[in-house]
This record gives sequence, C-alpha cells and structure tokens, in this order.
Amino acid sequence: MDERLEGYAELVVRVGANVQPGQEVFLFAAVEHHDLARAIARQAYRAGASYVNIVYRDGHVRKAMIELGPDEALTYAPEWQKVLARSSEGNALIATTGDPEPELLADLDGERVGRAVAQELVQIQMQLMGENAVNWVGVGAPSEGWATQVFGEPDVEKLWEKVAFCMRLDEPDPVAAWEEHLARLAERTTRLNELDADALRYRGPGTDLVVGLHPNVRWASGAGDTASGIRYVANMPTEEVFTSPDARRAEGTIRATQPFPLFGQIVRGLELTFEQGRAVRVEAETGGELVRSHFATIENADRLGEVALVTGESRVGQTGLLFYDVLFDENSTCHIAYGTALPFLLEGEPDDGFNIANMHVDFMVGGPELEVDAVLADGTEVPLIRNEEWQLA
Amino acid sequence: MTGDERLERYAELAVRVGANVQPGQQVFVHPMVEHAELGRALVRQAYRAGAEYVHVSYRDDHVRHAMIGLGPDSALTYSPDWAKDLMLAEAGNASIGTTGRPEPELLADLDGERVGRAIQLELAEIAQQQHRDNSVNWCGVGAPNEGWATQVFGEPDVERLWEKVAFCMRLDEPDPVEAWREHMARLDARAEALTTLGPDALHYRGPGTDLTVGLLPTARWGSARFRTSGGIDYVANMPTEEIFTTPDSRRADGTIRSSLPLVLNGQIIRGLEFTFEDGRIVGVEAETGADLVRSQLGTIENADRLGELALVTNESRVGQSETLFFDTLFDENATCHIAYGMGLPYAFDGEPDGGSNVCKIHIDFMVGGPELEVDAVLADGSEIPLIRNETWQLAA
Repeated sequence: MDERLEGYAELVVRVGANVQPGQEVFLFAAVEHHDLARAIARQAYRAGASYVNIVYRDGHVRKAMIELGPDEALTYAPEWQKVLARSSEGNALIATTGDPEPELLADLDGERVGRAVAQELVQIQMQLMGENAVNWVGVGAPSEGWATQVFGEPDVEKLWEKVAFCMRLDEPDPVAAWEEHLARLAERTTRLNELDADALRYRGPGTDLVVGLHPNVRWASGAGDTASGIRYVANMPTEEVFTSPDARRAEGTIRATQPFPLFGQIVRGLELTFEQGRAVRVEAETGGELVRSHFATIENADRLGEVALVTGESRVGQTGLLFYDVLFDENSTCHIAYGTALPFLLEGEPDDGFNIANMHVDFMVGGPELEVDAVLADGTEVPLIRNEEWQLA
Repeated sequence: MTGDERLERYAELAVRVGANVQPGQQVFVHPMVEHAELGRALVRQAYRAGAEYVHVSYRDDHVRHAMIGLGPDSALTYSPDWAKDLMLAEAGNASIGTTGRPEPELLADLDGERVGRAIQLELAEIAQQQHRDNSVNWCGVGAPNEGWATQVFGEPDVERLWEKVAFCMRLDEPDPVEAWREHMARLDARAEALTTLGPDALHYRGPGTDLTVGLLPTARWGSARFRTSGGIDYVANMPTEEIFTTPDSRRADGTIRSSLPLVLNGQIIRGLEFTFEDGRIVGVEAETGADLVRSQLGTIENADRLGELALVTNESRVGQSETLFFDTLFDENATCHIAYGMGLPYAFDGEPDGGSNVCKIHIDFMVGGPELEVDAVLADGSEIPLIRNETWQLAA
C-alpha cells in the first residue's frame, strides 16, 4: 500500500473530519479521485466508522446533462440526493477537490452552466452547516488531469509533492505541526475579534473597495467544533482567517488577482463593482457570462458572503503555484466570496446583513500590492496587510 | 469506425435496444468506477433518447473491500436510506448496469464467510419486488477496461476485448438494431417450441453431472426480451443467447458440476459441484471460493434452491468467440447455465407459482459444454433430447 497516500488519508480522517467511532462517513469524490477515496474509506473504517457511504461525481455526466438534457434537469434535486444530504447530520463528511478537467464545460453556454444548481440540495447543506451538525473536511486529490492543468504535463508525482508540502506531510509529526499551525491562526483570529473593526478597506491595482463588517459575526479560522463538540478542520490546507461581512455594505471595485475554476469554466480577469452591497457590474476576460448568470438567477448571489485574510506565511502561497483549485488557491492569498455567508459564524438571529444564497464562490484578490486596512468605528484605519505580511501585533 | 464512434454506437444500442429508454423517463446508470468511459457514453445517449434526467451511481469494489475487511459486522448487510430511495426511484424508469470487473479476484484475500454474508438485505428486497412488478426497463452490458482485458488475455489489451465484445453485441453487423430483432425472434421461437412441448422436468447428464430438475406448469420458457407492466419492451441482457425458465424449486435431485470458473463478489469459484436432495443443496464442493458459496447458502434464506435453468447452444456468438470472459453476463451466454437463488418472475404471465424460489440473491453458474446432454422429461416419463454436443435438438 502506498504509504504517502495512506498517511495523507489518515491525516484527513483523524485531523480534518476527525471521524468518531460509530459515525457514518459520507465521502464525495470525483470519479478520477478514486485512489484517494479508497484510502480514505480504509482509514475511516480504521478510525471506527460504522459505514462509509461513497458517492462519486463526474464532470462528464454533468456536461451531458447541461448540453443534452432538458431545462428542468438543470435545477433538479433528486429525492435520494436530498435524503443523502440530510443523512450527513450528526456524521462525518469528506469531500475531495482538484478538478481533473477544470475547463471541461468551457464550450457550453455560460448562462446554462450558471443556472445549473440543484438549489434544494444547497439549502439542505447550508442548514446543516448552520446547525454545525457535521464534522467535515475538504481535501485535494492529485490526478493526472489536475497536474496537467497546473504544470502543463501530467506530472502527478510533482503535484503530490506540492500537496504534501501544503498539508505539512513533510513534517516529522504532521499532527503536531497542524496543532501548532492552527494555534497560530487562532491567535490571529482572537486579535481580529478584539479589534472589532467596523469595515475592511481593500486597495490595490484596480481595487478600491470598502466592505462593512457585521457586529454579530465573528472571525474564525482553521479548527471548529460541531454542535455536539467534535473538533474538526473544515479545509486542509487552511491558511486563512475569515468572517462574513455585512452584505448591505460594500462600495467600490475589486479585481481578482488570479484566474479561478468555476463550474467547469475558468474565470479570468474578474472585476466586480459594488453599490450598497450589490454587485452592479461584472467584467471578465473569460467566464463573465457564467458569473452574470449566477447573479441573475440565484437570489443574493450578487452580495458578499465572506472576506478572508491570508499572508505570505501560507505554505500554499510559498509554493508559488496557481493550483486552479479554489481549496488551494484561496489559501495562497487573500480572498472574498460572493454568495452565502457562513452560517456557523453568526451569533444570534440572522438579519438582512447576513447574506443567504444558494451558492458560495470564492475568488482571489490578494497579492504583493494589495493593502488591507481595518476601519474602526471612529473612522481610524489600522493596517492589517501590507506586502502580504500581517501587520497587527 | 473510430474507438469513440464504436463507444457511442455501443451505448446507443444499450439505450435504444437494451433498456429501450422512453422520452420523459429518468435513467439510472450503475457503472463501476473503472467503467466511467462507457458510463458517460450511456448518459449522453440516454439524454439523446429523451431522458428527463440521468442518475449515475458509481460502484467501487475497493470500497467494498475496505467495508468487508475493516468495517464492523453491522456494515455487511446495511442499506443506507439514500440508497433505498435511489433504488425505489427506479420504478417506472429505466436502469442500465455495467459488468466486467477490472479485478475479479480483488476480494480473494478476505474471509469468504464475510464476503458471502455481505449483502444489502433491504436493497435486495426492493430489487426483488421490482423484478416481481416488472416495473423497470433495465439492461446489463459489459464495459471493457484494462483490468478485465488482463484477466481475459493475460495482458491489458483493451482493444482486443472491445473487438470480442463488439462481436458478441452484433456491432459488426451493418444494421445492429435489425440484427438484434432477428436474433431475439429466433430465441423467442425456440422458447415457444419448448413451452409448447411442456416438459415436466429437465435431465442433465455429463462428466460429474447427473441432475433432474422439476419444472412448473405455469412457467414459460422465454428469451431475455421482457415487457414492463407499463408496456415497454426491453432486452435485459446484452449479449443474450439463452432461453430460460424458472424451475420448481422443490424438485431437484442429483449432482451438477460447473464447467467454467465463476466470478462471484470479488472471488473466483473454481470446480464448483452441488448435490441436491428434494430441491435443496446438501453438498458444496469447490477448488476455490467454497467458503463464499457455503456462506451464501448458510446465511441467505432459500439461496440453497434453484431459481433458473437456461439453455445456450453453439450458435451463441459469445461461445463462438472462444473466450472465457470471467464475467457472468458473457460466460452465461456462452453455454448452458443454472442459477441458485431467486426464481425469475419473468417466466410467469401472472403471479409467480408457489414453487418459484423466493430469495434475495440470484447466482448463475455455467454447466454447459460439448459433453453435456440435456433432455426434456415429459409427464409420461419419456425423455426428448434438447441439447447434444452444444447443438439444439428440437425443431425450431
């Protein structure tokens, strides 16, 4: 058995989802990710899982549906999928990322691609996330296609090395390394919550945006706890501290600094302009149609759901790679998400400033020239990030 | 014809002739992970045929290996709610399964007793009900892949396997759809002649084999061309070369020896030999895989009785390919076979006879070969030859 693969899967099961004896595990993988999925299934049973449910997804099946299926198929949520989504309540969930063909849907009508969201399923997932009822994790699954997208050649071994570095698998004791890393992020989180800023201000090439923060939403990072007290790390790797902003208060323009894969297309050169919290203008070199379709067809997709800060200490950033995978790229640099706010960050009841939408799309805005400031209630600005370095004590 | 064209034509045949997907139906495709290429083509062709939605649920023997090897006892027979809902949704819709295990012996290192016991009981019950209701137009087809080719040829020559499979599927014919229509008409005529003959029993004789199995007066002989209760004609197996019936599960006496190895749940059963008394299997011998078979017979109710008798002659394209496929869909269509477990409701025009076996599994194994003689035993005790030297003996 491949030791690195099993070690990786064990880290995912024990530190990421933190599967508890007697829990069921719900494993969602692309069909090309079967090597890792199988290793995760083995490690989950070793950790005491009562049953591992595996559901493979397939971008080619999705492509056929959008290209050849009837209109109703685009948003259809089969009953069994709803039951499947609800069944993860109280259980562990592991999803793999790393699209083997990030541009598979590039030749399809962006409007249809954007509309193809099984919204009822997303609602169930969001509800479970809001109740913090699932210990879950997303992890990358190296594959030939993904390696080709990153390196221009199917060098899976090279991709594995980069992923292993981001996952701290090169450390003598990866579990201990993760503990230290999570503690560092938690410290940063505490400082931001103490600062209690009223807004963030982003400045950089093509970017001048002020985003209001929400008084009832905290900053968070790395590890979290389910309602029943299971500690888990929802993303591996994770390098961010993040919060959900006041969706009513966003003014100005922000430019994405990296291309990003979205629904089988790649969005390049995205630029969004906000007025009173809503995106009123979308520019992009490619994929603009898809983003506009999201804003037009999915309620509140045109408002912000997350702001996240990542610095130059990020292991993902240190690789210098563009992974064409949001789990990795969003942990290489500062990012923002349009769509739903993260329900587990809210203390108290949701108000109109806490965005609810049936999607959540992260895009990268960080880089050496991005300046991020905290704007305090009295109007003073406190630098948070300069030249990708953390500025708060 | 390029490989891609062949793939699409093959998938089209499975969708149009096999499952016979109707406009507005939902389609459920169940490939193994290693069958993704064909699975995707089936999805495309199903949408082209007017499917309203295509569900794909991939199976993975390695995950099954982990479950049986590392999971708790309760996992072996567990049917998740979502999987039950998925199967229930097939009623009134079309379903396509793919065969051709890439690693037929993947589970050989596991305890045969556990492998045999690992059956999702509630799912099996739903499947049984759907067979009885004939509510699903379904089809099983082979999906060539490297592992399967390696098992068959000793090397991963997928192209060679594709050629064999295409031959068995009549894809080499100028008009495969018409070739299939003619082929099924031939099998139906043979089945009708045997139903008209109306034997009381079949008598099998051959090396290591001397078995008499009682037949049911209410059970027809038929081909694998079925009609759903909703009136959709479909061909449940492609290839198919058999005519079959459901025997009287109370009447089987004697011994039968399997003539080909059988891939069963990730193990290979070699040299299987059963002894029957009053319809029940009372003796199981095998060179490999005996524990698995004994576990099934010991833990699954009525698995130790017969559910199907099927006759295949040397006109079979699968037989003519002279290939041991290590896949039941193909190998059972190369030569005569028998199944232990569930009686097939498809042999009955109305409700299945009380003598039709009720069971959660149905396992075909091959018994045919040049030396096998099959006779029809009539009510008056006279015997009429049906098969000699793999050749059909009855008129029609």
